[in-house]
Amino acid sequence: MKNILMGNDAIALALIHSGVDMVSGYPGTPSSEILGNFQKYKAKFKLDAYSEWATNEKVGFEVAYAGAIAGKTTCVTMKQVGLNVASDALMSASYIGLKGAMLLVSADDPGFHSSQTEQDSRSFAKFAKIPVLDPATPEEAYNMVKLGIKISHKFETITMLRPVMRVCHAREICEVDDKFDFKPANGEFVRDIKRWAAVPPAGRFKQGLEQFERLEKIKEYNWEELILPRVKELKAKSVLCLTSGTADGYVRETLSEQNIEADVLKLDMPYPLPKENLEKLFENYDKVIVFEESYPCIEEQLSSPKLHGKLTNDVHKIDEFSKDKVLTAFSNVGIIKKESFYKSEKYSQELPVRPPNLCPGCPHRDVYYSVMKVFKKKKSIYPSDIGCYTLGLNQGAIDTVLCMGGSVSMASGFSIADPKKTVVATLGDSTFMHSGVSPLINAVYQNHKFILLILDNSTTAMTGRQTTPERANPAQIDIKKIVEGCGVKCHEYVYNPNIENTIDFMKFLKKQYEEATTPVVAVIREFCVLDKERAPEKLPQVFAEVDQDKCVACDVCTTQYKCPPMHYNENNKIEIDPFLCIGCAACLDAVCPTDAFKRRED
Amino acid sequence: MKYQVVIAGIGGQGAVFLVKVLSIAASLNEQKCLGTENHGMSQRGGSVSCYVKVGDFYSPAIDEGQADLLIALEGNEGLRNIQYLKKEGGTIIVNADEKFPNIDYETIKIDAFKKAREKEFPIQALNVYMLGVTLACDKHFPFSLKDIEEAIRQMNAKMAPKNIEVLKKAIEDSRGLKK
Repeated sequence: MKNILMGNDAIALALIHSGVDMVSGYPGTPSSEILGNFQKYKAKFKLDAYSEWATNEKVGFEVAYAGAIAGKTTCVTMKQVGLNVASDALMSASYIGLKGAMLLVSADDPGFHSSQTEQDSRSFAKFAKIPVLDPATPEEAYNMVKLGIKISHKFETITMLRPVMRVCHAREICEVDDKFDFKPANGEFVRDIKRWAAVPPAGRFKQGLEQFERLEKIKEYNWEELILPRVKELKAKSVLCLTSGTADGYVRETLSEQNIEADVLKLDMPYPLPKENLEKLFENYDKVIVFEESYPCIEEQLSSPKLHGKLTNDVHKIDEFSKDKVLTAFSNVGIIKKESFYKSEKYSQELPVRPPNLCPGCPHRDVYYSVMKVFKKKKSIYPSDIGCYTLGLNQGAIDTVLCMGGSVSMASGFSIADPKKTVVATLGDSTFMHSGVSPLINAVYQNHKFILLILDNSTTAMTGRQTTPERANPAQIDIKKIVEGCGVKCHEYVYNPNIENTIDFMKFLKKQYEEATTPVVAVIREFCVLDKERAPEKLPQVFAEVDQDKCVACDVCTTQYKCPPMHYNENNKIEIDPFLCIGCAACLDAVCPTDAFKRRED
Repeated sequence: MKYQVVIAGIGGQGAVFLVKVLSIAASLNEQKCLGTENHGMSQRGGSVSCYVKVGDFYSPAIDEGQADLLIALEGNEGLRNIQYLKKEGGTIIVNADEKFPNIDYETIKIDAFKKAREKEFPIQALNVYMLGVTLACDKHFPFSLKDIEEAIRQMNAKMAPKNIEVLKKAIEDSRGLKK
């Protein structure tokens, strides 16, 4: 049956078609829709399956891994930086192996579209010694989920699927199974202490040897099942292109559009590679070029004087692929003369930049505005974290962004290193649950003095508003109680659109800080304007306009408050874009020094 | 047949909706189609550019100088992506007023914001409106009104009558635009 599917949708459907009945994960662009879509299919087909968001990727991984040890067919989903968090568990799990099957989906983001690093999960798979499959399109992702589950089961190892953003968020007409028989295996944990609780050094040494044996078998499988059928189709031209994932598409299109003669061998499983077989193949060619995103994962496994790629400076080392980059590589290797076929002039005049911004009406904006009013720029340090609220950067209210939960421990560090300044850290509710709690315990334990604002909008907003622990179980899980359990008082402020109230609350916190010897923590109860359940009742639907006589073009609203509808008109006065104003009324009270914002009467 | 479309706009204007509609339309015609979208950080009111490639393609992205059509839901976003258009035969269909500069490409310009301000159609349907203008004005556009109507119905049956009304209004409004 043909079906138009986004990559992440195709992956979710394939999980169901492979009998996966335990899915865990943590949201992160571009991976988030996999678990969300699985939940939709689960409801649609009334499947008896577990599919829940975990508090972080490591937790998600461990839930799914235990399932696989107990014989179930499981999956964990995350983005590439989430794999860093889960890596502690992955490294050991790779030694131990499993009984059922487990697919680890780690979605990469070449080009940094929504990520702080461009790391290559294939290279992480290599580091962890587990096989990895690299799909080029949504349909291939669908098929590779099934293949990955099969390989995982056959070799009793975790198998990674590494889709990139251009697969996750690509849309394609896919051939998928018409019918499926969803009969997942019953889990049954069979005690095997020597295996599941192998103790170093002897226990793990043995498993380390088994790991090498396993890899040799997987290499053989890779050659026999995945590579050899394609080798038979090669035409014995003088140039061989080794490709992996989306790079394959760019290479094939370039070859056909530019009439360049070369063989293409796509490696579905870029690790582990049958090195000897591949290098023997090179004997038939003058030159071999490796096209892969974004680390030289394949290239590092092979050696030959004929080999060209990132390590020989012939292929680009950072950013997404393009056909222009393929042509450049061919030119660098000396196969064609450098041409600028895929180049065209950009518009010659300067265009106003349009960086991402907090949504109109977002309570984060008022919080950052108030923080800056009260704590000032020169006297404070503002560590922040990963989430929508990172966009407080636009208001000058953020000094550092590192990784999930990093704001809290960095606040500790700054408070020690530069004690004359007030450290005001911000992070969201989901990030706090993810990895903000242990650094807070550390800060209380060590009596670090800083202010921590937990911006609680009750959703994982940036990645598409996935459920948070507190939202799902409000009677049991409460950020305030968690903070108190860490050993420090938790102040609470319920956001309202009157900015003066928010400023007063910041002044109150400042006073608390002056007398404190421990972290001063506050949870600010907000909402997300995109939250269909909660936003309607929170937004007063009071729209703003600007009194053109009162506006003196002072820039306060466009530089300190920065709500997207506010912009200069032809008369050099501020006006509000009626299409963008969401009716939050927040700007009416305290933003404009000349009181030019007024209620729009419709 | 090969046809490559760049859809440019601002996060929230519904560029992704258009990718879905065009993919469905391609499938109705049994054409191959590969598209990509922006999610996450890139959607928070920032610049958004999506690609749709109809025909025999293998890579999801569009290189510079390759697109047959650029649908710009906002003028500056159109100019920001102008390098993707084919030098020969590339068309830009842009929501912009008379200040939109003269450029060296086939340009079809309509001030959709003005029409929305005058309540001729709801601003939420700007994407569908611009698709209507495309249907009316791009003579190489590989989809018929019937394909697009059906695709819109498949996307969301409940909203379809209103969307199709906007689509037809846009086609009507496009009479007399330079083609």
